[in-house]
Amino acid sequence: MDLRDFYSRLSVDESLAEVMGYNPYYQKIDSGLNARILVNGHEMIDLASNNYLGLAADNRVKQAAMEAIKKYGVSLCGTPIATGYIDLFQRLEKKLSHFVGLEETIILPSCYQANNGLFNCIAGPKDLIVVDRLVHSSLIEGIKSTGSKIRPFLHNNLEHLEGILQRSIGYRQVFVVTESVFSTEGSIAPFKEIVQLCEKYEAMPIIDDSHGIGVLGKSGRGILEEQRIAGYRGIYTASLGKAIANSGGMISGEKKLINYLKYYCSHLVYSTALTPAVLAGISSVLDIIHSEFSGIKEKLINKQRQIYEALLEGEFKVIYSKAPINSIQTGSKEATFILNQKLYEKGILSTPFIEPAVPINEGRVRLIASASLSQDTVDEAVAIIKRIGLS
Amino acid sequence: MTIQSVLDKRPVITLDSHLLEDLRVDSLDKLMILSALEDEFAITIAEDDFADVVTINDIVMKLKARGFFEGTHSHL
Repeated sequence: MDLRDFYSRLSVDESLAEVMGYNPYYQKIDSGLNARILVNGHEMIDLASNNYLGLAADNRVKQAAMEAIKKYGVSLCGTPIATGYIDLFQRLEKKLSHFVGLEETIILPSCYQANNGLFNCIAGPKDLIVVDRLVHSSLIEGIKSTGSKIRPFLHNNLEHLEGILQRSIGYRQVFVVTESVFSTEGSIAPFKEIVQLCEKYEAMPIIDDSHGIGVLGKSGRGILEEQRIAGYRGIYTASLGKAIANSGGMISGEKKLINYLKYYCSHLVYSTALTPAVLAGISSVLDIIHSEFSGIKEKLINKQRQIYEALLEGEFKVIYSKAPINSIQTGSKEATFILNQKLYEKGILSTPFIEPAVPINEGRVRLIASASLSQDTVDEAVAIIKRIGLS
Repeated sequence: MTIQSVLDKRPVITLDSHLLEDLRVDSLDKLMILSALEDEFAITIAEDDFADVVTINDIVMKLKARGFFEGTHSHL
């Protein structure tokens, strides 16, 4: 045994970045998500972050975070089961539960941890987990940790899902796992129908609403509101770092489930609780959504459409989406990097997806136009996109 | 047909098709293939038993070893 052998195994394939002289990952951001962001010291248009509602740098949210720091300090230096469970934490659990319309909620340091921690608490080798082919890595990793039988179904394909459910006999429990908005595609799950199938086959639905919460529904409450799913008895997870503009993840559902997770979900029990500033920031964003959602959503949709139309005019292969996401089908990882680099060089920060984040040769470049972008900024982005497309 | 049904947007599948290079099959695709085969042949497949398959023909050989395909493999 030699430590050199250990370290020699830890090589990263950076050949593509080396050939192109450009690495899109871990770009240094020198500012907050302001009207323009500073990337490696250059002013750029942010079409990469998930700051859908444009609230990440909102003065009211900043003020709420600062007041929480003044009252509580920067951390309670403990997990929620110990010193981390401040009154602000408890109130936010209730507020989030009420927001999404479910009984109770736990708040974790990230949605990745929520999705990772959930499954091995509730599923085991005697269970079957049926999962959409394109769900996020956090769900896949969580599912794999259970030892359950895993059966993927074709993306958003109800017929394939029902076929699997019909043949799934003899398991202790069957779970059906999907996302509301698939962020690399912009596609939205037919979740109401999935819940109906779950009821028919006595399966437990689990939805990750990370790109839906704060975006979908007439008041921004997410997929359950959007698809008018009443009396949902399944499990709900979401990120608090996208439209909700802070950080953290949530799991919501029936009281019995949440109480169980409070004691047995190791990702919650052994992780330092979200800090007071973040808890107050989330609460403030929920207040803004409550009072201003329709106006913000209108701006968000308007900007997404302008970018979408520019992509069509630029003859990009863009996927039509009902979510405020523009996803360009780029194919190979090389083509994905090239388009991302062209946008970068002209002043637009975008998000490239290559395998394993997406299936092999199904690369995407994603553009999300925040509601807070000024019209001048959108006009400039539109002009750049058209120029690149037609060049 | 069974494999084609769970591999949308893929080129034509032949016995010589490599799962990774030709069909761009990743770990979840592979699980879908195994699930479809379980349904088609009413068998239970342990993932580990198929961990070393590289081509479609390798899958056929695994199934043959279980007594399938005396005459044809048209279902694949």
